[in-house]
Amino acid sequence: MQNKISLDKLKKGEKAIIHSFEKDDLPAKFYELGFTPGTAIQIKHKAPLHGPICINIIQDNTLVAIRKSEASLILTNKI
Amino acid sequence: MKNKTIALLGNPNVGKTSLFNRITKLNQKVGNYPGITVEKREGTAKKGDKEYKVIDLPGTYTLFPNSLDEEVVFNTLTNKSVNGAPDLVVVVSEPSTINRGIVLYQQVRESGLPAIFVLNMMDEIEDKGIQINHAGLESYLKTTVFKTNARTGEGVDNLIQNFDIQAGPYFNSLPLPVDYQQPLDEAKKIFPLETEYRTWQYLAQENIKVLSEEENNKLSAIRSKYDINIQQLQKAEAILRQEKINNDLKPILQKKENKKLSITEKIDNILIHPVYGYIIFFGLLFLIFQAIYTWSGPLMDGVDELFASLGQSAAALLPEGPLADLMVNGVIAGIGGIVIFLPQIIILFLFISLMEETGYMSRVVFLMDRWLKPFGLNGKSVIPLMSGVACAIPAVMSARNIENPKERLLTMLVTPFMTCSARLPIYVVIIGLVIPDTDFLGFNVQGIVLFAMYILGIVAALFSALILNKIIKSVRNSYLIFELPTYKMPDWKNVLNTVWEKSSSFLFGAGKIILAISIILWVLGNFGPNDKFSEPEKYIVQENPHFTEEQVADEISAYKTEYSYLGYLGRGIEPAIRPLGYDWKIGIGLIASFAAREVFVGTVAVVYSLGEDLDIEDDEQKQTLFTRMKSEINRNTGQPTYNLASGISLLLFYAFAMQCMATIGVVKRETGSWKWTLIQAGFMTGLAYIAALIAYQLLK
Repeated sequence: MQNKISLDKLKKGEKAIIHSFEKDDLPAKFYELGFTPGTAIQIKHKAPLHGPICINIIQDNTLVAIRKSEASLILTNKI
Repeated sequence: MKNKTIALLGNPNVGKTSLFNRITKLNQKVGNYPGITVEKREGTAKKGDKEYKVIDLPGTYTLFPNSLDEEVVFNTLTNKSVNGAPDLVVVVSEPSTINRGIVLYQQVRESGLPAIFVLNMMDEIEDKGIQINHAGLESYLKTTVFKTNARTGEGVDNLIQNFDIQAGPYFNSLPLPVDYQQPLDEAKKIFPLETEYRTWQYLAQENIKVLSEEENNKLSAIRSKYDINIQQLQKAEAILRQEKINNDLKPILQKKENKKLSITEKIDNILIHPVYGYIIFFGLLFLIFQAIYTWSGPLMDGVDELFASLGQSAAALLPEGPLADLMVNGVIAGIGGIVIFLPQIIILFLFISLMEETGYMSRVVFLMDRWLKPFGLNGKSVIPLMSGVACAIPAVMSARNIENPKERLLTMLVTPFMTCSARLPIYVVIIGLVIPDTDFLGFNVQGIVLFAMYILGIVAALFSALILNKIIKSVRNSYLIFELPTYKMPDWKNVLNTVWEKSSSFLFGAGKIILAISIILWVLGNFGPNDKFSEPEKYIVQENPHFTEEQVADEISAYKTEYSYLGYLGRGIEPAIRPLGYDWKIGIGLIASFAAREVFVGTVAVVYSLGEDLDIEDDEQKQTLFTRMKSEINRNTGQPTYNLASGISLLLFYAFAMQCMATIGVVKRETGSWKWTLIQAGFMTGLAYIAALIAYQLLK
């Protein structure tokens, strides 16, 4: 099994599967917009100087942006 | 028989507003202002001679509210008053995010409401690479599924024809998370008549408006007994439901490559590029400013001429006397003073709604969040702050879609610092008076100062946010999550409708107040408590025995102003404003401006007896006012009233002070708190006073 890597560490264009969450206090809205364990995602864009990250939730065909601080709580397995 | 109520519900960016416009044929009324679909919007739909009341609910991903907008949704759907809850919920979705639409649909059905399902944007289904088994979907959802294309109107009539549809029986499609069975069982005892899922919804929220305080307290007692919090419950549901829907949809839905998304990605590679993205955004901002100032010029001139000629014909029609004066100088000039801002507001909202419609606005949030976060704001604060350059009233309201209560409050508190269009005429007059009309490095100095005033507004907003951020305690952690919709061509009907809605709400909302103030000012300026006002000739002759008859006549109106109620008010506050370098005449202008800044120029014109319908754009009239104001001597200091020191002091005062009743009213309504409203007014005006004081004392 690969090492888990937090979402903010992924580079633009990389794909990964969401594994789990570092902390339990991520708001429910993250889950509603598709950040659930087992979901495949791809990093599409990163705003400069640690700005927000734009992520493609592959199965939903949507682009969702979150801040780096929350992205660092989401653990993924790179694919 | 009562008309049926139909509620439109759906995720953001599924074309729900377009569909609403189609269904109601724009026959709608809106509670109020921006954010695209913020307030409860209502309209009517007609089928033959039958009428339906249609409500357009704000876009949401779930019935559990995260922001004020979304609270409206839950409150409307759970309304318990008679005829409160809608008779039919129309869940609007679009092919590529159908699973999210189904989440909402199931939540609605499980909470006991009848619903139908609409697949909008059917024209894009091929580009999005999606195939849907229609019959399969209908049997899965246990309802009729309608296909529409709101942009062309396809399928909309058929949808309206079916508003009387009877939704079949519905059973819970989702077994609720077993981990929370015990607390749920206890909660069910409080609500014996509700569906199990509705009870679950109650358990998974705090401070529910439709419930009594007692019920809310019982619910929170259950939550603390089992040591569970609402976020846990909502998450548990979200995970279970999404997993189930994705599995259930496998035989119904086939997905291939989404062409729309790859086009969007290509555009995004430029528009949110770390370098080009910012260049394009600031270029666009520059274009908007240019448009506001240059395009609106001829329109504003037109409005001005119209009202001037209106005033003239009214003056010609009415018999001379106080009534004619009130009509011409109070009412018509007052309305003219509001309408003149309309061109700028229309242009601004045209751009803003185009940015919303095309999907670019979310990219702005993406680009700007990094820069606003250190000030305690949110990427979404960009929209209120930008709108604040036109008018703080709609701007404060557009802060509604910021989820975090603290960031929303901060945004509302600092937005009025942005240089709104009402400050512009004052800046123009004062800069024209005290700043030399020369060039510096090829730029006009007056222009540079005007530009600096705009920058000052932004700096004041950001730094106040920084200070207030330290003071206000946050209840929730700050977070940001938002969808970047695929790029779309704007739906022009929507754009025009939004522009009309915003402009008319400014005209009628803010307009009422400004008009009232103009009339009050006219009354205060045209009546006085004693005979110094009613018989000025006597006193003028007494004080200036050597005056010729002509000089006396010239002096009358200025004398009357001084001894009118307004004059007494101005002199009353003179001690407070003397350290800032102002005299009582400016004092009158200040008092008037606390109602609305734009009144200043008109009031000053009255004080200097030049007539209220003075036109700042007209060079000749501007020169008259300028000459008069330049020759004005402050009798406290013996120096010109408008010198560099007092001018800069006035500019700073106007840049910072909270001088707009309409904004105060909106902030009160939006924050729901007099405390914050007063803190804001006090903070801004205090800052204005101190800044003006320091500037004057240093420069004099």
